[in-house]
Amino acid sequence: MLGLFGVLNMGARSMGVQRAGVEVAGQNLANVSNPAYARQRVAITSSITVQSEVGPQGTGSEVANIVSMRNAILDNQIQSEASAHGMLQAKQTALQYAQAALGTQIDRMASGAEGASAAQGVGGGHSITDSLGELFSAFQSLSSNPTSMAERQTLMMKAESLASQFRQLDSRIGELNNQLNRTIDSDVNMVNQTLTNIASLNDKITRMEAISGGTANDLRDMRQAQIEELAKYVKVDLSSGAGGAINVAIGGVDMITNNQVVDTIETYTFGSNTYIQSATNDVHLTLNAGILTSGSIQGTIQARDVGIADVRSSMNTIANILIAQVNAIHSTGYSLNGSTGAQFFTGSDAATIGVNSALVTDPSLIQASGVSGATGDNQVALALAQLSQTEFIYGQTLTQAYSQTVAAFGQELSTVNNDLANQDTVDNMLHAQRDSIGGVSLDEEMTDLTRFQKAFQASARLITTVDEMLDTLVNMKR
Amino acid sequence: MRVSANSFSDTLITQLGNLAVRQSRLQSQAATGQRVRLPEDDPVALRRVLDLNSEFRSTGQYSRNIARQLELAQASFSGIKGIKTLSDRAGEIATQVDDLKSPEELQFYAKEVTEMIKQAVHVMNATNRGDAVFGGTIADRPPFVMTLDANNNVTGVTYQGNTSLAETEISEGVTITTQTLGENTTGSGPRGLVTDSRTGADFFNHLISLQNNLLAGNIAGVTAVDRASLANDESNILYHISSNGAIQARLEATDALTRERGISIEAQVSKEVDADLSQTLVKLSQTQTAYEAALQSGARAMNLSLMDYLR
Repeated sequence: MLGLFGVLNMGARSMGVQRAGVEVAGQNLANVSNPAYARQRVAITSSITVQSEVGPQGTGSEVANIVSMRNAILDNQIQSEASAHGMLQAKQTALQYAQAALGTQIDRMASGAEGASAAQGVGGGHSITDSLGELFSAFQSLSSNPTSMAERQTLMMKAESLASQFRQLDSRIGELNNQLNRTIDSDVNMVNQTLTNIASLNDKITRMEAISGGTANDLRDMRQAQIEELAKYVKVDLSSGAGGAINVAIGGVDMITNNQVVDTIETYTFGSNTYIQSATNDVHLTLNAGILTSGSIQGTIQARDVGIADVRSSMNTIANILIAQVNAIHSTGYSLNGSTGAQFFTGSDAATIGVNSALVTDPSLIQASGVSGATGDNQVALALAQLSQTEFIYGQTLTQAYSQTVAAFGQELSTVNNDLANQDTVDNMLHAQRDSIGGVSLDEEMTDLTRFQKAFQASARLITTVDEMLDTLVNMKR
Repeated sequence: MRVSANSFSDTLITQLGNLAVRQSRLQSQAATGQRVRLPEDDPVALRRVLDLNSEFRSTGQYSRNIARQLELAQASFSGIKGIKTLSDRAGEIATQVDDLKSPEELQFYAKEVTEMIKQAVHVMNATNRGDAVFGGTIADRPPFVMTLDANNNVTGVTYQGNTSLAETEISEGVTITTQTLGENTTGSGPRGLVTDSRTGADFFNHLISLQNNLLAGNIAGVTAVDRASLANDESNILYHISSNGAIQARLEATDALTRERGISIEAQVSKEVDADLSQTLVKLSQTQTAYEAALQSGARAMNLSLMDYLR
């Protein structure tokens, strides 16, 4: 038998247990808006059983521990999906910037920068495709009026406009490349900072759990949030360390071992582009090495080195062919004053393309005639105009090749958009699942609060009752 | 499934976000009338539209080329018609000349023929937009130069053009020339209007011969030689008139086809990128209703909690 004093102790312990329940409910309510937080529950168990005359008898209850409602499988999945999401998000952002830089869009209501120019095309807009078409139209017009100075001046304007568009586009893509390189630099800093945070949390968790023997739930929540943050930038591999620590590796290179950051990542430059490697042993981690398969850094690199680089390369090929072909034909012709051998375009690619300044200054020097002294001849102008129908790149004309480049780029962006939408669905489902396990419910917490409050009141009543019984017992001797 | 305080609001935010994106896309489609605007919207349709746009621009250019060629053909026709009028009159004079005509009358006819030669040279030196019409591709100087004697009679007309004609593209891979060559004595290439070695046409020399025979009172020369020569020139001119007419008819037919192609491209582009407005507006209305419903139901559900019922 516990006796009256034993029951008094049991009431006191019970009040402590209910108080702990109120505290945990309060902690849950306080963190209702904290996305990293997983709700906690007080695990209540019966106290030790004692032998009595009537057999084994309970001694009340006690708090076994405070449990965090987490599911390790879900946490791992969310962390892994965060890398995939980070990669797609980074790719989408980079490709959308590039799409804006390309400036190709269909605007059927556009009036065009040059008044009627957009109206000439049923799709509107004014991209390089349009400018290429206008250049060849200007060659056609010249072939129709080979001696006309007006047509010659128009041709010069169209050629300069096209050259300027090529240069602008190349410059925009170059600037975008630089921006993406800077984004990688910034992401690398974030990764290293996050590694430091995780190592620091590992340290706190191991020390805290070693002292109290329990589980440092809140610190573990914070560490999980940091791991998920890290996974957005790079794909990480986790393993258990000593005393509750988590070891982190990136691309097979250990970055955190127990409480220590043993390595970090850094950028290196290859060509004009930025890649990442481990700082200690210079292990290349990105595209060329093919080690990392997800994370925003990899997404940025993929968009830069594949989608955007393809556009730039294709644009350079088109500009190069245009310059070479037009010059080859134009240089054989004769101008209105009989001169020959002049180049039409200068430069060799999209970055350097220009129009021969002598022709711009004096359009009569355009060599439209194929016969010396025959100013009315248009063989060269016609041959230049017919370049628009010549298939140069994989059975496509220059205009078609550029359209194909834009369409292929659009297809890549469209695929990323779809992938990201699917990824969002997966992420939302996983987060909803995790929320259903670890999310705080106000209704539940209020119910628990009421439950623990009532239990606390009942325990207090038990003590009052025992106190009255003791009073009765003491007053028996009068 | 257990619903936490955050999962409810997170789901609502996601749903509202999705509906807002959908609403914005549909609103944009309704406002612009376009289903496709950027490469990412529908890359395949965009590619087709860019190609169609390029084709449309080409058809526009071909139409302008045709218009220019029609203008040239009409300028040529004016000249040919002028030469035909002179040829008719020369034929009349050659026919009217007989033994009954006095020497003075023959002198008057000779004078008229001299002026006709000068007029013919003037006609054959016609220009269009500053370029010689009948000089081949030598556009910057008059194709015909005449020489006169002391009595102002024409002694010769020299051709200083060439025998090339500029071809212009009127549809993909199809070129045409509407120019008429003044003279061709090479025996190949386009036929000359006033002189052509293959047909024996040599209008200026035949007129000069007529002029000289009339001046000399050589009636036999006129009747035996000039009449036949001028008749031959007339046939050659008629050939050019019919040829010019055929070219103009071909240009007009090609232009009509080009314009039809332009209209057809417009329809194809519309099919590729234009939004079905009625469908778009119905979907927009549905989305707006769903958005309102989500806002209302969300606001109502979020206002309720157990705390409203606890003392």
